[in-house]
Amino acid sequence: MSRRLPVRPGEWIRRDRPLRFSFEGRSYTGFEGDTVTSALIASGVRVLGRSFKYHRPRGVLSMANHDVNAVVSDGIALNQRADVMPLRDGMDLQPVNIFGSLSADRASVIDKLSRFLPVGFYYKAFYKPKWAFPLWERLIRRISGLGTLNFAAPRPVSGKRYDFADVLVVGGGPSGMSAALSAARAGARVILADENAQLGGSLTYARPGADEAASALAELLAQVQVQTNIEVRTATFAAGWYADNWVPLVDGQRITKVRAKAVVVASGVFEQPAVFRNNDLPGVMLASAAQRLLHRYAIAPMRVAVVLTANEEGYLAALDLLDAGVQVQAVVDFTPLGETHPAARRLAESGVRVLCGHCIVEAHAAADGSGVSAVSVAPWSGGGVATGAVETLPCDGVLMSVGFAPAAALLYQSGAKMSFDELLGQFVPGELAPGVFAAGRVNGVYALGERRRDGERAAQLALGHIGLAAPTPAAVARERRAVSHPFPFVAHEKGKNFLDFDEDLQLKDFYNAAQEGFDNIELLKRYTTVGMGPSQGKHSNMNAVRLLAHILEQPIDAVGSTTARPFFHPVPLGHLAGRGFHPVRRTALHARHEHLGAVFMEAGVWLRPEYYARPGRNKAELVREEAKAVRTGAGLIDVGTLGKIEVSGPDAGELLERVYTGRFKNMKPGTTRYGIMLDEAGVVIDDGVIGRLGEDRFYFTTTTTGSAGVYRELQRLITMWGLKVGIVNVTGAYCAINLAGPASRTILATLAQFDVAEPAFPYLALREGNVAGIPVRAMRVGFVGELGFEIHVPAEHAAALWDLLMSTGAAFGIRAFGVEAQRALRLEKGHIIIGQDTDGLTTPFEAALDWAVKMDKPFFVGQRSLRVVQQQPLRQKLVGFMLDESFAGAAPKECHLVIRDGQVAGRITSITHSEALGRYLGLAFLAPDLAEEGKRFLVRGEAGAMVEAQVVSTPFYDPKGERQKAAAAAAPRAEEVSA
Amino acid sequence: MMPARSSPLHAAHLASTAAWCQLHGMPTPLRLKAGGVPDPALADVSALMRCGLKGPGAAEWLAARGMPVPERANSWSPTPRGGLVARLGRSEFLVESAWNDTQAAEVSQALREAAPGVYPVLRQDCALLLRGARMRELWLQTCNVNIFGIPAQNREVTLTSMVGVSVTILEQPLGNDACHRIWCDGTFGAYLWETLLEVAGDLGGGAVGFADVFPDAATLPTITL
Repeated sequence: MSRRLPVRPGEWIRRDRPLRFSFEGRSYTGFEGDTVTSALIASGVRVLGRSFKYHRPRGVLSMANHDVNAVVSDGIALNQRADVMPLRDGMDLQPVNIFGSLSADRASVIDKLSRFLPVGFYYKAFYKPKWAFPLWERLIRRISGLGTLNFAAPRPVSGKRYDFADVLVVGGGPSGMSAALSAARAGARVILADENAQLGGSLTYARPGADEAASALAELLAQVQVQTNIEVRTATFAAGWYADNWVPLVDGQRITKVRAKAVVVASGVFEQPAVFRNNDLPGVMLASAAQRLLHRYAIAPMRVAVVLTANEEGYLAALDLLDAGVQVQAVVDFTPLGETHPAARRLAESGVRVLCGHCIVEAHAAADGSGVSAVSVAPWSGGGVATGAVETLPCDGVLMSVGFAPAAALLYQSGAKMSFDELLGQFVPGELAPGVFAAGRVNGVYALGERRRDGERAAQLALGHIGLAAPTPAAVARERRAVSHPFPFVAHEKGKNFLDFDEDLQLKDFYNAAQEGFDNIELLKRYTTVGMGPSQGKHSNMNAVRLLAHILEQPIDAVGSTTARPFFHPVPLGHLAGRGFHPVRRTALHARHEHLGAVFMEAGVWLRPEYYARPGRNKAELVREEAKAVRTGAGLIDVGTLGKIEVSGPDAGELLERVYTGRFKNMKPGTTRYGIMLDEAGVVIDDGVIGRLGEDRFYFTTTTTGSAGVYRELQRLITMWGLKVGIVNVTGAYCAINLAGPASRTILATLAQFDVAEPAFPYLALREGNVAGIPVRAMRVGFVGELGFEIHVPAEHAAALWDLLMSTGAAFGIRAFGVEAQRALRLEKGHIIIGQDTDGLTTPFEAALDWAVKMDKPFFVGQRSLRVVQQQPLRQKLVGFMLDESFAGAAPKECHLVIRDGQVAGRITSITHSEALGRYLGLAFLAPDLAEEGKRFLVRGEAGAMVEAQVVSTPFYDPKGERQKAAAAAAPRAEEVSA
Repeated sequence: MMPARSSPLHAAHLASTAAWCQLHGMPTPLRLKAGGVPDPALADVSALMRCGLKGPGAAEWLAARGMPVPERANSWSPTPRGGLVARLGRSEFLVESAWNDTQAAEVSQALREAAPGVYPVLRQDCALLLRGARMRELWLQTCNVNIFGIPAQNREVTLTSMVGVSVTILEQPLGNDACHRIWCDGTFGAYLWETLLEVAGDLGGGAVGFADVFPDAATLPTITL
């Protein structure tokens, strides 16, 4: 049975474009321009969904994106709001939150049990007996929630987007369009956003056929269309307001973060429901919902209507129905005197009964439960209770037009001070945030001409704010009539008079909550969950405030409203995720590592080779082989991720002297020193090698993750201290390669155009020169404990240098080695890694770095704290340890605890199996009395197994450092290495 | 002889390049396999010679060598030889040559002679050129600065973040059109290139070769890698 009406002026549907779709397995037809709801209603479907808690049948409420009981699944798209979801051909839609079918939902038995399930019951139930809680949890999880997640659904990629406007106008009704036009005509770039599919706002549904509204709509649309500096975005909602006028605009594809110089909020109002028994039956709807169905989609919402009202808008809606051929059984007016509006006279002339000072006591369900069949009306005093004889009026639909709440979320979020206008019955903005302006009904202005003028006024203020010339705006008066009824609630002993349709909250739930002490609006919200459902209180918050004010006998301004936070409306998670931007740094040798089969690991934002995979070998074998190549021949590792900073200027040495704990002013050019950096608390935060390039030029390295922080801190300190020094962060500009192993000098000597032999290039020396024509800085340092050269090279030449070293080193069995092998090799030398062998509290004294701290210097960062620390007993000490040579079990791991007498007495920071020494060794923090060489201690390893270890001195390998300081020695050939 | 140079994007070009040229020692895609001119179009111009300098004496040092010195921080000036000098802060400069010039290398050479208050800055940037009618949409999806709100005649240099990477940006004339130049740390280059190409691809854009943005370079001899 089609409810579609003959063609209506301004309708949004394209009757020449029919669309087929299915809902719950049944086929239907609609038109392009329909929403899912409008197409279903046009097809005679009344029950569109089931309520969240009691599984009561629900139909249309708002047709304004708030019908949260009429949500559908569209393939992988869950919980789509049918009232605004555009219809597409071939849609296969399913309702959600049902067990069975919409007409026979097994979970509707909960409705029968509702008296045992008052609001807050879950706070008082389920927690005992304790053993039963998992059962309840499973049951609740099974029956609650909307829709079913499909974990196999592909991730939608919705791009992130920014945009910029001089003036952003939120709301495309008469106020918003007028504001946009005024701003654009003054030369501003304007974005005009509206959540509806078309511009026009209430002009598209509230008496659009009336002369004034029709001509205003046509005129405004035509003017907006030709104004090229207005960008219109329909089907787009403003999800929030953030500082400096950042406003996320959400459409079907993405979020666009708009930075506007000024924002005009012309977002209108939300119509509010009346509260009476069974006010949720399908067919009971807001008057504006019926008007939307009527005018946008050419649908008769019902055949016989009763209109419940308290304002002139209700009378006008009744006239709309009459004009569309709907029989209006009666207008039931909450107010005792009724309306003086001409619409009232027209209705009377048409024979429509007007029952002033009446209320709807109850709506009666049709026999099949699919809708309303009649309403009981009675006189009332306005205090929420029917006071006279009850009369039953047959009907199949009820319109509710009792008031509005401002769509003021953006204003609240921007910090606007709102106050309650008692006459109007609405919160209206008082003081607004700078750059934010309000216009139209959200501002309490209702008459069409006034709304247009209010939009122009707001635009002129916005133009003045952004510095564009604008005339001084004339004030626009707010509406001076009662638009919203102060107490649209009708009590009923059997309840089911719903105030919040998201959460099935009844009138009595609020009385109970207040009685239990939740009598503050924020507490009431959290206890009852009013406004916490998907519509976020758009049709319930205002009524909750009114009701609480009534219960507390306080004015509404005293009760206030809940805090408005972004997002104003649910935003799809896919939109929030957007396109992922996760920056990754790759050294100039990345492709070389890929070619060698590198398995990469993340080190901060860098990708580093962990080891190099080879067929038939596992990771452990490969790491051992890589380490062995370094110990016996030569290895090459990319250390380009180290931070690299150049310091130049007459105060360069002074700067380093102050930020590192060692001495650097007395370094000779061409030398390097190890340095550690502390924070003001004396905690070790970074380390590196400092090289002196010239009298006033230094070059130093930092840890891989430390470069940006160190550079930033140095800039701060240079400014603070007023030093004559310039620093350059060349971390990315230089790549670095560590050539290590007994054959390293021979390999480098083949290519270098400078002398790399002893004594020309001694241990800890720094040289600048060319290697096969490539300019380099080479440092003789030995992190891995072998003769080695750290070669720093401009990134653009790094690949060429790597290739040369690999090809030259082939004769010596050279092999690329990764971070895993490097960590094992350095641990054999007892070298610490800042951040792994130290933590956020470690002082150099605890880390056994006393030797690197020159307390007799006049100053260095952290020195004052260390002087205090020196007076205190040590908390812990970093020491080397070994497991017994015979140990054959599961070795402890990093962070495993040292246990003494059942108490924690330390932890392991690093551990590895040393191929060179044939046993496990590592570093551990121990209580000072345990940290003496030779002492044995227990580590709680895997599965609680206690493993015995012994404190030993470091370095474990080559304790005299003879290998890395080695004078010229015959480098082994490849055949010797393999042997 | 100049040692071999590699673009930070060298590996990314291997599969897509139809013809390589050698530009200042750096193999550079002259033409790509994909036909047509995508919009927006992104080209790797890392091979252009460039150098940097900073320090309290840097501006004076440049001026003494006849280089145009932008008066304002975060602005740039063209050089008579077709290159540019960008002022990245109060006392830091980027000098870049035209594609067929080596002025920046000459400046770099001169910087080797110590001068008080002048410190050379090694530039190993990933340098990109972006052009096309759909550039604006690509910017809107990748950067939160209103690049198109900056009048081109102001010759401003913007130091900001793009897809999470710190970049230096300026608008420059290119033939009869305008293009945007983007410089970033070379170690972020591959990520930036891949991410921008992904976004550009959604818009109908993609990568182009050097000759597509500098038509005169089409005559450069091709090389085999």
